[in-house]
Amino acid sequence: MKILVPFKSVPDPNDATFAGEAASASKSVINPFDEIAIEEALRIRERGEATEIVGVTIGAPSVDEQIRAALAMGVDRAIRIDDARALDPYAVARILRAVVEKEAPHVVIMGKQAVDDDSNQVGQILAGLLGWPQATFVSSIEFLDNKTRARCTRETDAGLEVVELDLPAIITTDLRLNEPRYVSLPGLIRARRKPIEVLTCDQVGVNVRPLTTVLAVARPPKRPAGTRVESVEELITKLKQEAKVI
Amino acid sequence: MDFAWSDQQRELLNAVGRFASQQLNYDVIENDREGIFNHEAWKKCGDFGIQGLLVPTDYGGLGTTVAALERLGYACRDNGLLFSINAHMWTAIIPLVYNGSEAQKKKYLPGLCNGTLIGGNAMSEPNSGSDAFSLTTTAIKKGSRYILNGSKIFVTNGPIADLLVVFATVDKTRGTDGISAFLVEKNSPGMNVARKLEKMGLRTSPMAEVFFENCEVPEENLLGKEGGGAFLFTRSMTWERGCILASAVGSMQRLLETCIRYANERKQGGQSIGKYQLVASKIVDMKVRVESSRHMLYYYGWLSGHRKSVYLEAAMTKLHIADCWVKCSEDAIQIHGGYGYMTEYEVERELRDAIASKLYSGTSEIQRNIVASMLGL
Repeated sequence: MKILVPFKSVPDPNDATFAGEAASASKSVINPFDEIAIEEALRIRERGEATEIVGVTIGAPSVDEQIRAALAMGVDRAIRIDDARALDPYAVARILRAVVEKEAPHVVIMGKQAVDDDSNQVGQILAGLLGWPQATFVSSIEFLDNKTRARCTRETDAGLEVVELDLPAIITTDLRLNEPRYVSLPGLIRARRKPIEVLTCDQVGVNVRPLTTVLAVARPPKRPAGTRVESVEELITKLKQEAKVI
Repeated sequence: MDFAWSDQQRELLNAVGRFASQQLNYDVIENDREGIFNHEAWKKCGDFGIQGLLVPTDYGGLGTTVAALERLGYACRDNGLLFSINAHMWTAIIPLVYNGSEAQKKKYLPGLCNGTLIGGNAMSEPNSGSDAFSLTTTAIKKGSRYILNGSKIFVTNGPIADLLVVFATVDKTRGTDGISAFLVEKNSPGMNVARKLEKMGLRTSPMAEVFFENCEVPEENLLGKEGGGAFLFTRSMTWERGCILASAVGSMQRLLETCIRYANERKQGGQSIGKYQLVASKIVDMKVRVESSRHMLYYYGWLSGHRKSVYLEAAMTKLHIADCWVKCSEDAIQIHGGYGYMTEYEVERELRDAIASKLYSGTSEIQRNIVASMLGL
């Protein structure tokens, strides 16, 4: 079984600041949800159910650092679609469809969303474009019937939902699926010898342009400091007259 | 010589720093108080590749290895854990790498590198410390076995070790030429890991007294040649001397940064205490000690990596870094004032941990003896 794991390079969420139009940070990391997807693919391979894990990302050469991190975790090889533009989910999904058609994986596992824009759309659009079944917000994956089907647990607002779907399929990962491993030192050394294939959109046969444009990103307004009241009466008066909530 | 890091080396060092700062610093104060070894952190280090740093050696040479250990010392505040790792690497892994048979390497090295096995050595005895080769533990060949008798003290990792490299003499009349090394597994009949030793510092690194009473060791567990123990020990010690305080350089760097931060934040008499020359001067001394230590360490790494003789340099490096580490720790407490003496600030522990560096792997006096002898004195 071959697994394709699309991942995105995002500003380090532990070190991000907002400035102008987008979040920025002194360094970038693999989107944490995508890291969970990579980890899951590795575990599937470790239990003997997958033979190859291919990573794919879109970006300028600067994202090679995150590609190497994915290879160091254990991804076998990686593809970078060389495109430095800020793409929207539809454009990303169209590029990924072209990669899926080129690589023909049995399953695509990816984060449910990227932590920089929180769009939560790429997996779903990709499934739609391919006409593949999808399981989103997944917290467990199990393969059935000689790996022709997958049983996934989905985390929904109402509780846990268990679904079965035919492969090939798109699976998007939620936080509780696993805890990604640390890149080991031997992993880092091995990653240097693994191939990174760089392709342009032209080479994979897609011509995309973003349909949406981000105009501005702003911090939420600062919460004003609270005050301490002396008595219940004073609290009620303030709630009535200042906050006007009762 | 060029001490600038390549992108690949920097990537590796950053990975070590990230791993250590996020994975190894929990329960350090409690573990130090109770004298608890952090088994989980040991395993994490194994999975990550710390214990395996020497095997294989394609990380970019020994220079990278000592720098990785330095970074580990900077990011991990559990000096005891690092001491246990050091003992394991220099006194168990190194002798196996150099002197182990293929069968011995195959049997023990993977586990020693991936964190499932803990190693150490047993050399010092109640009556032979600095004069290590005057040991009296005996190993008498009987058929296909050696029978070990004697007692060993200050055995780092003793209470937790799966494998000890034990030094004993096969024939006292042969003196140094009779000393041999044996791989002794835990629970070997006749080996008794006696009382755990309470210590001033490095309390998270367990140490014990170990007795051998007709302890039977199969002959295939002889490490190296019969009578080759002294040479094996000397080589292992040269590695240990040169590298064991790499993590101390990282610790000093961390202490320095802690002190700079504190000196800028703490205000007395209307200004940051760092503005007082007496405080600033201490911090400058710390900086000079860190840099001089680092340069000696890297120079040792460079020499060793180029297969040059390091007998003298290893002794000087060890001597200098140990002195610097103790002085830096003492200064750090003084800069922090009363707070520095409080456990929760994690500065006082550093001094307790640092003092041992003037004793283990040959006392500072022994290092001076080595240097003196190399100077023709």
